[in-house]
Amino acid sequence: MDTSQSQPGRRRPALSGGSAGPLSRRSVLKGGALAILGAGVLPLSACSGGSATSGGGAGSATSTLWYWGGGMSDKVVAAAVEHFKATTTIKPSIIGGDFKQKLQTSLAGGSFIPTVTGIKGEDMPYFRSVTAKFVDLNTLGAAAIASKGLAWKWKEGQDLSGKQIGYPIDIGPTAMFYRSDFFEKAGLPTDPTAVGEAVKTWDSFYELGKELHAKVPTTYPVSSLGSVWAIVLGQTQERFVSKDNAFTGDSDELHQAWLTTCRAQQLGINAASSTSFNAALAQGKIGAEFGAAWHALDLSDAAPQTSGMWRVANNPVRPTNFGGSFLAIPTATKDTKLAFEIIQWLLSTDNESKGFTDAAIFPADPAAWTTPALTGGTAFFGGQKTIDIFGPAAKIVPSQYTAPSDAAVAGPYGDELTKVETAGKDPEAAWKDAVAAAREVAKRQGVTA
Amino acid sequence: MRGKSLGRTWPLYTAVSPYYLLFAVFGLFPIGFSAYLAFHRWDGLNPVTFAGLDQFRFVWADDTFRLAVVNTLIIWVLSTVPMLLMSLGLASLLNSVRRFKTFYQVVLFLPSVTSIVAIAIFFKAIFDNDYGVLNDTLKGFGIPTVQWFSGYWSIKILISLLLTWQWVGYNAIIYYAGLQAISSDVYEAAKIDGAGPLRTFWSITVPLLRPVILFTVIISTITGMQTFTEPQVLFGANTAGNGNAGGPGQAGLTMVLYFYQQAFVNNNYGYGAALAYAIFAIVAVFAIINWRIVARSDK
Repeated sequence: MDTSQSQPGRRRPALSGGSAGPLSRRSVLKGGALAILGAGVLPLSACSGGSATSGGGAGSATSTLWYWGGGMSDKVVAAAVEHFKATTTIKPSIIGGDFKQKLQTSLAGGSFIPTVTGIKGEDMPYFRSVTAKFVDLNTLGAAAIASKGLAWKWKEGQDLSGKQIGYPIDIGPTAMFYRSDFFEKAGLPTDPTAVGEAVKTWDSFYELGKELHAKVPTTYPVSSLGSVWAIVLGQTQERFVSKDNAFTGDSDELHQAWLTTCRAQQLGINAASSTSFNAALAQGKIGAEFGAAWHALDLSDAAPQTSGMWRVANNPVRPTNFGGSFLAIPTATKDTKLAFEIIQWLLSTDNESKGFTDAAIFPADPAAWTTPALTGGTAFFGGQKTIDIFGPAAKIVPSQYTAPSDAAVAGPYGDELTKVETAGKDPEAAWKDAVAAAREVAKRQGVTA
Repeated sequence: MRGKSLGRTWPLYTAVSPYYLLFAVFGLFPIGFSAYLAFHRWDGLNPVTFAGLDQFRFVWADDTFRLAVVNTLIIWVLSTVPMLLMSLGLASLLNSVRRFKTFYQVVLFLPSVTSIVAIAIFFKAIFDNDYGVLNDTLKGFGIPTVQWFSGYWSIKILISLLLTWQWVGYNAIIYYAGLQAISSDVYEAAKIDGAGPLRTFWSITVPLLRPVILFTVIISTITGMQTFTEPQVLFGANTAGNGNAGGPGQAGLTMVLYFYQQAFVNNNYGYGAALAYAIFAIVAVFAIINWRIVARSDK
């Protein structure tokens, strides 16, 4: 996680003369000087950060592009700078820290607004609630491109009236990663198709999981309750807040999803490794793991020594989507046509496939899935062609409405799941507490509850 | 006459103006704007709407905020009391040391200028539930391990330990500076009167250090009440889908972390502003208590 984001409070004041005891004139002066110094350093550094990204939307010869580290291939961005050299000077900025926070601040302040900006998938529900701040890409011809893409993903970048805010960069179709060596040891199927068949429902997944843990007791089929929750939640018809902004966090559907998640705990097959995921992974404590296509990189980074032992199969019931970002054009941008051209170039089929090679960014453009970069086998997955799983999965991801307040309302469920996991709290009691707390959050978010 | 005096004093006003200008921009304006926001609803970009006293009613009824207040107070006591006692001990040791004095001073001061993120990584390596050095050692001796990152108390102890480790040296340096200001005559007189080292410490060092001690208590109170970074970096990725929840059971959720989560993560700036004023009220109560003690000691 990133900790360089703006953090309030907790700066020890410089020892300024002392507020207790008699003050000497000198110490007061010294304290004042320190305070000025301390106060002066902050705005200075803020300015230097800002000037590097200034000029965005000024209609000048420069076009600023905001994205975050790993959000796009740096090589593709560099190539874009070169490609558009004659037309405009593209100034890319990798924005560190809390990206949403910084974009929100510049949009609210009305200055230093980038010409083209990235928007993270999880922040999209919020930014598409302020459509006035962004250009409708359909006015620039996005609809024709969208018709060739994934309907559900393009819909994620729309507001409820159909205004297209975001142009999809990547997607996160989910699947089940599993250790074929442990599966083999447990006498379970190891072939991805056979495993996918064996875990068609959550019931059959848990049956298989019990078997795995019984035969290989050091490994668990569930890494943490949160990882199951993310998938079952994505499989529901309606999340915590409905389209008419009403609280639906107490629905039977979500209750069932909750109980499905908590069964991993009750069956004793949860590794509960959210605190030490990497170590658990490296030590083989995690025998199966749910996650999006991009999660493969987390696995190979954390446990390179397990390379070749992993495989990918469909997760139970049906694939969902987890993450995946967009590019957008703020209304402050003067030359929107040029901005749209830049976006189209950055996210061309070719460059999308380069993004996958360089930074494991799974292309939102299905045409890129047939390029050699994606159709080749992956050594980490024993040469398996993972696109055979993720490609078809991405096409059948269900469309789900996510309200701007969704993440906030979802918070208490995560807290209570952690209590089930670490303190052995009864799932039904935890559900009641989660719903009650979420209802309060919803009220504060202006949701009818 | 008045104009004349302004004509003479303007360089002085100019000289002090940077501080006031910066304070106006980064202090006064946010204070005023958050007072305005506390009576409104605002998600950061959409239009601001009037909310009356709703946000304060929400604060009053918010169980999670109450939990955060209790957490903060417990962590504050757990960290401040042992820390200041240890600082005092370290300072007297430093005062009696003859060689490598500068070295010790630097060593004591280093933790307070070390990146908190680096410290958090270090603490995770030591205290990790399953793979930490400490639990491995306990296992080696056949002692039951502690789930440092999961329990109601262990989470608070962990944060307090981190705070103590980071600030004990800083406070020791302050005490040391205070100790040096105490004249050696007093100590010699005490020696002649037959006072032992302990008696000297309690009857001379502590009373003469009183203003310095009060200073550190006040600073530790204000900063302790605003503990934020430590639980955020320690428990950032520790709760399913809620990175700023303060760890399992929200046992490490402090007031300011909760405020941050509500305002900046949940885009609920109106509620965040109301929480900020509630935190201000709580810190003010403690500041007043401190001030009363200081006022009494001056008499």
